[in-house]
Amino acid sequence: MFGTVYTGFGYWDVTAWIVFFAIASGLTLWLRAQGRDDYKEGTDQDEIYWSGNPVPDDGAEISVPASSAYWGFRKAMEPFYKVLTGMHTGIGTDIVGFYVLTVAFMAVFILL
Amino acid sequence: MINMLLEKYLDILPKSLWVTTCNSGSCNGCDIEIVATISPRYDIERFGMKLVGTPRHADVLIVTGPVTRYMRDRLLRIYNQMPDPKAVVVVGNCGASGDVFYKSYNLDGPVDNIIPVDVYVHGCPPRPEAIIEGVAKAVLKLESLKQQKKAGEADS
Repeated sequence: MFGTVYTGFGYWDVTAWIVFFAIASGLTLWLRAQGRDDYKEGTDQDEIYWSGNPVPDDGAEISVPASSAYWGFRKAMEPFYKVLTGMHTGIGTDIVGFYVLTVAFMAVFILL
Repeated sequence: MINMLLEKYLDILPKSLWVTTCNSGSCNGCDIEIVATISPRYDIERFGMKLVGTPRHADVLIVTGPVTRYMRDRLLRIYNQMPDPKAVVVVGNCGASGDVFYKSYNLDGPVDNIIPVDVYVHGCPPRPEAIIEGVAKAVLKLESLKQQKKAGEADS
């Protein structure tokens, strides 16, 4: 179950994945810890920047949602999106079915 | 250990100057000159200075316009949101004195009525060379603030 899978391009195994994950996590946490420390906590320097306005409780009234910026794109792609949203039924058996099909499809490429 | 190394290398190569702008009621003339300053003819970005979208990453605040009543709180908030040490450069006559809008009924400016100003760049609008000179003076101001901070830390 935990053996090494050779794909022809490289290999994959659980140990390598865990080691990579640990290194990447360590690097990410270190980078996140390196933020600026010269701001003063508890002052406006700690507040969210909202174009100079006070941060609103509900930003919907004074912000433009991304959907407004892309309405033309959404309109043009509507037939495509209709198919996609039609596939997202929310029924558990459908989701498991897609999962099994995807795994089978990937297995054909990786294992054969 | 890592922090000490970072401090050491940042002394040799300090952070590039990052600048944010606030249009406090300008006609956009000065803002166009600021854009000219960062566009290819003058290209101040080759020295590391760049415009950033938030005051929380900025070292210098460039203010244009005479500060309308509506913009007073916003300008103050943007200034307060910048981390220390920071410098303020006023670009254009409006921000420096109010210019033709002086004593207008809806002005709270000029800028130094609201926030402390370090460098004034005059002109209507000032040429990009003048803006570059102003920002260079802001660098000197920032360096002196940094040295004061270091001296204070050494004393304590």
